[in-house]
Amino acid sequence: MKLYLKILFLFFIAAALMFLGACKNEDPTPENIPELITKVILKFSPIGGGPSITVTATDPDGGGVQDIEVDGAINLERDSQYAMSLELINELYLPGDPEYNITEAVQQEGEEHQFFFSFEEGIFLSPTGTGNIKESSSSQTGSINYLDEDASGLPIGIHTSWTTLNVVASFKTFRVVLKHQPEIKSSMSTSLDGESDLDISFVLNVN
Amino acid sequence: MKNLFILSVILFLHTLVVVGQGNCKLSITGKVLDDSKNALPGATVFIKEHNIGKVTDTDGVYVFSELCEGDYILEIKFLGYETQVVNLNLRKSERIETILNTEDRLLSEVVVSDHPEPVGKTSNYGTLSGKALEELRGKSLGESLQNITGVNTIQSGPAIFKPVIHGVHSQRILILNNGVRQEGQQWGAEHAPEIDPFIASNLVVVKDAGAIKYGTEALGGVVILTPAELATNSQLGGQFHVIGSSNGRAGIVSGMLEGGITKRKGWGWRIQGTGKKSGDLHAPDYNLSNTGFRELNYSASTGYHNNGNGFEIYYSHFNTTIGILRGSVVGSSEDLATALEQEPPQNTQPFTYRISQPRQEVNHDLVKLNGHIRKGDNLFTVQYGLQINNRKEFDVRRGTLNEVPALGYNLYTHTLDAEWEKTKDKSRKRSVGINGMYQDNNKIDGTQNIPFIPNYISYSTGLFWIEKLSTSTWDWEMGARYDLKYYNVVGFDFRNELYRSKLNFNNASATFAGTLKINSQSSFTSSLGSSWRPPNVAELYSLGTHQSAAAIEYGLMLDKVTNEVIEPAKLNLNVEQALKWVSTYRIQKGKFNAEISGYLNYIFNYIYLRPIGVTKNTRGIFPYFRYTQTDASFLGADFLLNYSISSKLSLGSKISLLKASDETNKDYLIFIPSNRYEVSTRYNAPNIQSWTNPYLEIKFKYVSKQYRAPRVVPIRDIIDAKEQGVDLFANDNRNFDFVDAPNGYFLVSLSAGISRPIQKSKLDLRISADNLTNTAYREYSNRMRYYADDIGRNISIGLKYSF
Repeated sequence: MKLYLKILFLFFIAAALMFLGACKNEDPTPENIPELITKVILKFSPIGGGPSITVTATDPDGGGVQDIEVDGAINLERDSQYAMSLELINELYLPGDPEYNITEAVQQEGEEHQFFFSFEEGIFLSPTGTGNIKESSSSQTGSINYLDEDASGLPIGIHTSWTTLNVVASFKTFRVVLKHQPEIKSSMSTSLDGESDLDISFVLNVN
Repeated sequence: MKNLFILSVILFLHTLVVVGQGNCKLSITGKVLDDSKNALPGATVFIKEHNIGKVTDTDGVYVFSELCEGDYILEIKFLGYETQVVNLNLRKSERIETILNTEDRLLSEVVVSDHPEPVGKTSNYGTLSGKALEELRGKSLGESLQNITGVNTIQSGPAIFKPVIHGVHSQRILILNNGVRQEGQQWGAEHAPEIDPFIASNLVVVKDAGAIKYGTEALGGVVILTPAELATNSQLGGQFHVIGSSNGRAGIVSGMLEGGITKRKGWGWRIQGTGKKSGDLHAPDYNLSNTGFRELNYSASTGYHNNGNGFEIYYSHFNTTIGILRGSVVGSSEDLATALEQEPPQNTQPFTYRISQPRQEVNHDLVKLNGHIRKGDNLFTVQYGLQINNRKEFDVRRGTLNEVPALGYNLYTHTLDAEWEKTKDKSRKRSVGINGMYQDNNKIDGTQNIPFIPNYISYSTGLFWIEKLSTSTWDWEMGARYDLKYYNVVGFDFRNELYRSKLNFNNASATFAGTLKINSQSSFTSSLGSSWRPPNVAELYSLGTHQSAAAIEYGLMLDKVTNEVIEPAKLNLNVEQALKWVSTYRIQKGKFNAEISGYLNYIFNYIYLRPIGVTKNTRGIFPYFRYTQTDASFLGADFLLNYSISSKLSLGSKISLLKASDETNKDYLIFIPSNRYEVSTRYNAPNIQSWTNPYLEIKFKYVSKQYRAPRVVPIRDIIDAKEQGVDLFANDNRNFDFVDAPNGYFLVSLSAGISRPIQKSKLDLRISADNLTNTAYREYSNRMRYYADDIGRNISIGLKYSF
């Protein structure tokens, strides 16, 4: 019995030391957060030349409760053809950092990403319809003029082409959705598959 | 406070040294056998006058030591057998053998035994042990506990069960795993207790508030998991289980070996291990993709017990990987709207054993050292526990990040407990004790996410005092405790900038309980307890979206407008405080056996997630929730009835009723289990030659729709309103749910079993079918209900070999 009293004694001393010895003051290391998209830039460049139209959506507080801010409407000219490119930025990094430009990461992992678009009727000559964002599995969708493709030949959508109708339109909605579809993306997959990495609605005018 | 720890350590070392004499050195060593002369492990042996009890080991052996000369009445009980009473006039140490005859009365799966060892005479409790527990082998802890009336579960898919006692769960329930307060990462509703139920020979749920001995946070009750006592003789014993299940094509193997040490009297040891593997489970109409799980657990213990003194060393390891339904992965509210509407769930694939993202990987290690010394009427106990909990959650992420956990924490917990128990004139008992805890939680670096909860260090300490008094008609118990809790928090805010905070909480708890022994057949127990709970770090500082929930969560300590971390001094934060009253009437009269409980638990400053608003970020529109405080009430009743129609046939019934309300806002709380009713009938057939105890049982369970659910606000309405610039929750932040509560459902299950004694060993065969009719249903308290039906028919075959 004496022996186990000794063991117990030593053990409680050790336990007491553990209680007391635990004192830490060094700061934990902050995490890199490469997945966060804080800024999205839509750039419509007229095929026939002329100044391009740029619209930016910015999230002022990432995980906070403030709504994203869009710096204005997309103002296109009627009866014109545009090449649209998207730029996704993580402003928690500096412009030189590889994590800063998320567009490149999406391009590289094109086989698991696709952009989808929706818009109201009476805006575009091409594409026709209302875009390819599905509201439900039974809803019909149109096609988008994708100008890029992934290694499997499926569209990505960083670069697209748009032709406006020869009519004026105001306060129309133009929505962009980026879906992450790992092991899901195929010629059959739609905007209902995978998870949304991006989902923003813009106001569009045709002058 | 540090001095307090040293002081307590020194004090108890003193008490340890001043022992050794006493003239009460007699012992009773007994063996309990069934009518075919097989050892009966798990039988309870009780000496009423002394209020001490033992559970027989796998050899059917029990030992009472440190007994004084005198008359003793031993009551030997085992579920399904007739109780035997043995009168002993003890002059020298005795060895006795008792044979229990099979009882013809109903073998209900809930044992209404007399005070299992860890529970006081004045407790409102339910237990699972012996045969009832054996019939649940292979199920998880939470799933097993559901068989106790008043206990439900909150589920996140088919493999994650969290026990709910009388409507409350998580941090409001204390789990005592082999005497150590389980300290895992219980802050999420999808975090199941990290415990292998195969280690338990006895599961007890105490439904009273503030089980004073164990500390804060027992607002709803306590789950006590007790392994069988270590063997004290040198004979080798063991148990092996092999279980196969059709749903998930799952297999479970569990084994245990134990024995004593030759020439080392009093020494015993045990090793135990369990492995589980399940592939995707399936609902009646489709596969539930990525719901498989794996588990590997083992434990080892050794100890020395002699003349009421002894010590024990115990180590256990728990490891699990659990898949979360692939169809529940959503990136935004639009995704959620889609996921809610699709059936079968999106991305449903054929059956596989592969577990991909999202999934959880959890490890839990426990080391326990425990010593006790008896000196006359005094019993001194000291115990140290170290728990290391490691949790990683993997989400579907972009590219290589897929293999990086989105969330990961290491939690270290040291606990030190000491207790002095004094018995006075057989009818009075006093126990005084101290508990200390040191906790250190650190994020796993490299998750590439702003941590959901901060790093923290926490100290807590508590002192308790319990008095028990027995008279011929009454048993009384009263107790009080005082606790202190301190947090030192270091985390990152929404800008990924570091913050530090220090918080202190302290408060008192008290209970008062009594049992009136109406006559030899019935008793009435009533208890009133006040208990408190400091808010946990997740409730204080949560930030971000949690696994598979298209909702953002913010802690209490984040500013409502700016989301900046608030300094503790600037916020008047109240601790959660519960006042719980529970009363139970028990009657056992001839063929009839019933237990009726009523309870009211009023929780002041109840912390819960309340919808506050809707925000728009680059991923889309998200409702956001903030931890908020309100007053909540839980009013309910539990019924347990058994009736033996004949010597072979019996009927059983269980009913749980509960109404939970948000009193401040005159609203209902979400995820509260609905009322449920169960009827069972069991046929115990006569032995067939050398096959013994055949039985067949059929169970019908009806779970009603939860009508007391908060309003429904469809996710599309939230999105559409926000598109129009309207925030649906800005002016009306009553609780809400995305979809209606699912309809009520009716399930049938069937089980049958038979045993075969083979010389000194025994083989048990059991076959069962759950959800026999393959009914498609959804359970309100299962989070998977949003996306998919619950699991369909499951047929299991289990084989147990014990020697």
